[in-house]
Amino acid sequence: MSFQILLNLFLAFLWMFLSSNYSLSRFIIGFLLGLALIIAFRKFFKSRLYIDRVWSVIKLSFLFIKELILANVSVLVLVLRPRLELQPAFFKYDTKLTEDWEITLLSSLITLTPGTVVVHVSDDSKSLYIHVLDSNDIDETIDSIKNTFEKAILEVSRS
Amino acid sequence: MKTNDVIMQFTAKLVFFIIFFFAVHLFFAGHYTPGGGFVGGLVTASAIVLLIIAFDLKTVQTILPINYINMVAIGLILALGTAAFSMFTGKPFFTHYYDYFNLPILGKTSLHTAALFDLGVYLVVVGVTMTIIQTIGEDE
Repeated sequence: MSFQILLNLFLAFLWMFLSSNYSLSRFIIGFLLGLALIIAFRKFFKSRLYIDRVWSVIKLSFLFIKELILANVSVLVLVLRPRLELQPAFFKYDTKLTEDWEITLLSSLITLTPGTVVVHVSDDSKSLYIHVLDSNDIDETIDSIKNTFEKAILEVSRS
Repeated sequence: MKTNDVIMQFTAKLVFFIIFFFAVHLFFAGHYTPGGGFVGGLVTASAIVLLIIAFDLKTVQTILPINYINMVAIGLILALGTAAFSMFTGKPFFTHYYDYFNLPILGKTSLHTAALFDLGVYLVVVGVTMTIIQTIGEDE
């Protein structure tokens, strides 16, 4: 992946030197041409295309914004109810993620979507301890985390 | 008892660079806009303190093997040297010089000896703050 980015930059510089015109527009044209070449010869690389990964990151950020709005609306509904019928609870969530940055990102995403707060990461970094506002639908919460955030982060990090 | 601080440590690693860049920006912005050596030095020190909080003193000392007392000395020599330089040319103490130079990449830039004095202030502030915090932190 980083090799592909370096190759693309190298091709862009090569394009600038070939046309001996050292301006930004030349560089951008060279970069786009290099990108087209890399996409055309994608069978040569062992890992997936880096542009694919960039697209996954963009999708993840949009997913995060969507979830943030939805969850805040649900907390608003909870607050405005005349009678609070909450059942707070802690539960353990086993995660498939291994890298430090993945765990940090997942924890931040879970914490920033209201109703759930990550309070502790286990010592072997295999499970997160999460405080949930309403324990009536814990399985639903776990499923939603698994199918949205964790899936999107795995989508970004798979090679 | 050691807890797993994976979130704290990763975030500190990431945020350290952002704070340090902001400190450098503040340092260079000081001539025309708010900022300067003192604020830049304090913000730099706060970035290092964030690392110390996330990891511990010994780890940070192996990552950044800086002798902060020497840093204070270098900063004082820089500030005094900039101020005293004009005395050798017959001008009063603290006379500053500035001129416009055509640098290869940046183009027309104004270089001022006040920036060197500011760099001395910056080094002294970082050194003094870190010396205080390390001396207090090492006391068991």
